Amino acid sequence: MLRYIARKAVGWFLMIVLATNLTYFLANAFLKPASNYTALRPPRTPAQINHSLALYNLNPNTPVLDRWWHWMSGIVLHFDWGRSPTGGSVNDQVAYRILVSGQLVLGSTILAIVFGVALGVYTASRQYKFSDRAWQGLSVLSFNTPSAVAALAVVLGAIALNQALGTTLLPVAGAQNPDVSGFWGVFASRFTHAILPTISLTFISYAGYHLLQRSLLLDHINSDYVRTARAKGLTRQQAIYRHGLRTSIIPVATQVAFAMPALFTGAVITETVFAWHGMGEYFVKTISTNDVHGAVAVAAFGALMTAIGAILADVVIVALDPRIRVS
Amino acid sequence: MAINTPSHGPETDSPLPPDTEGAHTGETGRRKRLSPAKLYLRRFTRNRPALAGLVLFFLLVLFSIVGPFLTHWNYQEADFTSLSVAPGVDGHLFGTNGAGNDTYAQLVHGLSRSIIIAVSVSLLTTTIAALFGTTAAYFGGKVERAMLGFVHFLLILPSFLIIALVGTHYRGQWQVLVVVLTVFGWMLTSRVIWSLATSLREREYVMAARFMGVSPLRTILRHLVPNIGSLLIVTFTLGVASTVQAETALSFIGFGVKQPDVSLGTMLADGQHTLSTAPWLFYLPAVMVVLLTVAMALIGDGLRDALDPTSQSGGRA
Amino acid sequence: MIDQRTVASESGTAQPLLSVRDLKVTFPSEAGRVDAVRGVSFDLHRGRTLGIVGESGSGKSVTSMALMGLLPDYASVSGHATLGEDNLLELDDKQLSKVRGRQMGMIFQDPLSSLTPIFSIGSQIVEALQIHQNLSSAAAWKRAVELLDLVGIPNPDRRAKGFPHEFSGGMRQRAVIAMAIANDPDLIIADEPTTALDVTVQAQILDVLKTAQRETGAAVIMITHDLGVVAGSADDVVVMYAGRSVERAPVDQLFAAPRMPYTIGLMGAIPRLDSSGRDALVPVPGTPPLLVDLADACPFADRCPVVEDACREAEPPLSPVGGAEAETTAAAHLTACRRSAEISDGAIDGATVYPVPERRVTENALSSGEERRTVLELSGVTKTFPLTKGGLLKRRVGTVFAVNGIDLTIHEGETLGLVGESGCGKTTTLLEIMGLRPPEQGRIAIRGRDVAELRRKQDISEVRRDIQMVFQDPMGSLDPRMTVFDILAEPLRAVGERDKKKIAAQVAELMDLVGLDPEHHERFPAAFSGGQRQRIGIARALATRPKLLILDEPVSALDVSVQAGVINLLNDLKAELGLSYLFVAHDLSVVRHISDRVAVMYLGRIVETGSTDAVFNKPRHPYTRALLSAIPLPDPVAERTRERILLKGDLPSPTDDRPGCGFITRCPLHLTLSDPQKEQCRGVTPRLTERGRQDHRDACHFADTFTTADS
Repeated sequence: MLRYIARKAVGWFLMIVLATNLTYFLANAFLKPASNYTALRPPRTPAQINHSLALYNLNPNTPVLDRWWHWMSGIVLHFDWGRSPTGGSVNDQVAYRILVSGQLVLGSTILAIVFGVALGVYTASRQYKFSDRAWQGLSVLSFNTPSAVAALAVVLGAIALNQALGTTLLPVAGAQNPDVSGFWGVFASRFTHAILPTISLTFISYAGYHLLQRSLLLDHINSDYVRTARAKGLTRQQAIYRHGLRTSIIPVATQVAFAMPALFTGAVITETVFAWHGMGEYFVKTISTNDVHGAVAVAAFGALMTAIGAILADVVIVALDPRIRVS
Repeated sequence: MAINTPSHGPETDSPLPPDTEGAHTGETGRRKRLSPAKLYLRRFTRNRPALAGLVLFFLLVLFSIVGPFLTHWNYQEADFTSLSVAPGVDGHLFGTNGAGNDTYAQLVHGLSRSIIIAVSVSLLTTTIAALFGTTAAYFGGKVERAMLGFVHFLLILPSFLIIALVGTHYRGQWQVLVVVLTVFGWMLTSRVIWSLATSLREREYVMAARFMGVSPLRTILRHLVPNIGSLLIVTFTLGVASTVQAETALSFIGFGVKQPDVSLGTMLADGQHTLSTAPWLFYLPAVMVVLLTVAMALIGDGLRDALDPTSQSGGRA
Repeated sequence: MIDQRTVASESGTAQPLLSVRDLKVTFPSEAGRVDAVRGVSFDLHRGRTLGIVGESGSGKSVTSMALMGLLPDYASVSGHATLGEDNLLELDDKQLSKVRGRQMGMIFQDPLSSLTPIFSIGSQIVEALQIHQNLSSAAAWKRAVELLDLVGIPNPDRRAKGFPHEFSGGMRQRAVIAMAIANDPDLIIADEPTTALDVTVQAQILDVLKTAQRETGAAVIMITHDLGVVAGSADDVVVMYAGRSVERAPVDQLFAAPRMPYTIGLMGAIPRLDSSGRDALVPVPGTPPLLVDLADACPFADRCPVVEDACREAEPPLSPVGGAEAETTAAAHLTACRRSAEISDGAIDGATVYPVPERRVTENALSSGEERRTVLELSGVTKTFPLTKGGLLKRRVGTVFAVNGIDLTIHEGETLGLVGESGCGKTTTLLEIMGLRPPEQGRIAIRGRDVAELRRKQDISEVRRDIQMVFQDPMGSLDPRMTVFDILAEPLRAVGERDKKKIAAQVAELMDLVGLDPEHHERFPAAFSGGQRQRIGIARALATRPKLLILDEPVSALDVSVQAGVINLLNDLKAELGLSYLFVAHDLSVVRHISDRVAVMYLGRIVETGSTDAVFNKPRHPYTRALLSAIPLPDPVAERTRERILLKGDLPSPTDDRPGCGFITRCPLHLTLSDPQKEQCRGVTPRLTERGRQDHRDACHFADTFTTADS
């Protein structure tokens, strides 16, 4: 098993390295870090700009291969992912933002999984009854709502609520109030700030689990072995829960394993709307500020999370499904 | 969808559960044979949500085509005498935005822009995915491994980043957006098609074609692709819905369609800053985009149920 | 636990255990209401076995599912089924669940899918026990192991912890039986319990079922399409057709004197293992009716050779043959046929009900095989696969010798039957031949041309024309999205025919040749019945005018009444077109009927080969003998009297090319040998050797001792 994981990990690692380097060249081709300086007052000469950029290994006059070599050796030797055009450390940014994103997305992911799977089980055993159709209708709606719409609708609702109450019960922007202090104060502030983004994220992501779990369970409800279980003397419900559910939950679990690492890559739209400085927002910012190193680091991080997710999914299958045990 | 009816029609080749053998005799098709198209139509029309989706989509397309002729405002033209007016004021049916653009004209244009992008991307990705997936499945062995390796590599590429880079570089031209969304949009679908086609590869009629010396290209086009036809139709429909979402998201954060062109995504982005002062700038495009995606999703689910006799679910697998 | 046995098992005297009256089941469908079961009645007494026979779609499985309450919700069931005090059909799921598994156990057709894949075999049996009995986990586990032992699973202690995918089909079916009898049921319903299994395993499972019945004293309902299985295991038989029972009688009476034309037709259509006749089989013409909006008429009328006008006026009820005098006794013989009184011994008014069809061409006398041209020659062909272990990480742990150095020769106009259990390498052999690529080892030559020498595309396509294949599954081998015309035109186009008129003419000719109406060329495969689809498959194979047809189980997916017609067609075509066949089948009766020569395959090797009569009449290899003896005969008397050679265990996997005989793990002869002889079996691979008779060779060191000792 360990050997298998190791082999897979090596394969993924090579792909990540390749993809990251490709991204580096693409980003260098499309992003112009110099534009961060052109708008400055007093205006600077191109030589001055290039001089500043050279400090951060972004000078467009240096051959791209040289810059790549410098960048690469920085990563390999010091795990230093470089600097932004204005000199900020990419490492610092990523380290800080991973936590912010994780904090934001963790709650909604867990809620979405629990709610979605429970709903899938509930509706599958009531196939074509009213509650099934009603929930399914809602899920189709939420599954197909663009996250921007969901997030903004939540904001709109919260604004209306706050206006009606006359106080800011639910803050619609930021991760916490800048002027609170003390552990409990910060905690409370963070909690209230997280409520709205969590609602909007849960709303758009629970439906995937609901519809998946429902259709998988329905596939298994009509399987031969559920019939055998009923022939042994289980009622239909018991047979579905004891035999159908255990088998059908395996693909859902792999999906969850796949989704978990994506927590830390954040939710671009939601972070933008709610002004959380997480990885998603960083991603948008790196592109709009022509931050080559930041953008590549985000891409590499995303690829790493995909790889971890894929490996986790394999591990989950092996753990849950005796048919795929590696001896 | 009202009842889970036993299947017949041209797809009775699926393994039949023995418990309903009496209901399933392959002979059922003979005396009262419905043509497949009629059968699919009957199944589809019985599915009321799907029918509603179809009507809705039809109306949206009609609106995006006829809409521009119902107003004298152009979506690019700014009415500086009425900035940010509410719907109905100054002859602006849906009001204007902060720059004085007529919201109705923008909405119609944005809708048609979103529909064009989504339909062309979905059509292209489905075609590429179908050919790529079936080819990999047909040849198997090393060819298959190499092709799948390529797909995996594309999957790990930061597609969103590249789309954003390229999209920004070309100043949000929608044709460029179609290209990049297609290039990075077909891989997951082709994996699904590949896994389905590998089971077709083992089908005896494909083996028979091979043993008769039918050329690989012909076998792929005549046997493999038509037999995943229903999946392709469903994929296309759902692909439209997901492309609308992708395009909206891209435009929303500023990497998709750009000024002066308008899509539903850019309208949402504009609307987010005036939620409390000019909410119509948000909810009009929001309603439009949700109607569009939900309509496509309902059609897709309905088609899946209608075309697939073994399908018991209206859900997404 | 076995006190049920004290209850009178004499039928007719005691209260029946199960009494079914007027059972009806309907399903909704796109075409209308399907009447799957239309009024079935029978009584079943303790300790007795009732066989329900019928072809697919006759409603036999639906009947059993209705009794168990396992039909889907949308099925509507009416009638009475009294088991003990209860009318089973009126109980809800909860009440029925108390009966299911406790008073009724059920065995399903497909053992591969009927066990939950993620639970161990032992825990699934424990669950069956604990649902109905208040047992501690330890006690239940102990009992589960006992049950596994009872059904003949070796090392039950260890195997109980195994998962279903680690068990072979036969072993899984044993586990299902263990589960069905776990709570000592009064009634065991076996729904095609052996259809998915090989003959040697089928014989074992039928034996286990008998053991189970003896242990529990239960009554058994045996549902099958195989008249041989019924003959060997049932006391009474119900023949079902179009959702009704059309004939009911004690087994001996039914087989000795069937009175319903359908039953007579079924029996006549079966090729017999115990007769060497090469006459045409007698198919039952037509196909069963649609069970939608049935008219009030005998449903068999359209297919019946002795139909009268009155038959179409009202559906005849199931009534005693020859009046009411025998009605009350259990030995009553009932039929649903107006003319059954006139029928005796398969004849009516002195003429047989089903006249034997004429062969289209009389077989040209077989000249000695050697003088004819060789169409196909395999020598020393070997095909190996890497044996991998583990689900995700595939490690190569050995080599499977799927085909291990086999020699086969087929002459012009000859049919070679290749027989063996699934997994013996038959299909791999076929694919090796059809692939037209040089084998790993050995040589394949088609009409004298070595495939290793085929370099140019043109050469390959020339050889392709000469050799074509007919597949097992008539539905799976035809593209459902193509019309019959396109299906038949495809091979013509593939060999370069472009002229539309010529193609059309050839397609019409082909359809005519296989007995299909050329008018139907615009239809899709789904519009045809199974037998017709197989004819389309044959027509497609004939399109390029091949010299050799490879037939992979061409009739095993067909119902008996249809199978006979296809076999006749194959025989006619062979004579008419001078074809040679390589006929692969697991059904030895069919092989006996159609082949000139036979090769028996075991673990990738040919273990016996010779002329059909020689091999079937005087089998020499112990495996061939076991195979022949495992086949149930559709004759209850012969079934009861003949001696069985039961093979133990399953087909092992042909890993690694160790010397020695591959059959020793299951060989009954091996057990009787002396130690030095056993040593020889283990150490020396037996070669195919000719003994006395020409053209009859076997690969057993001690075939002689066996033959002499036995005769």
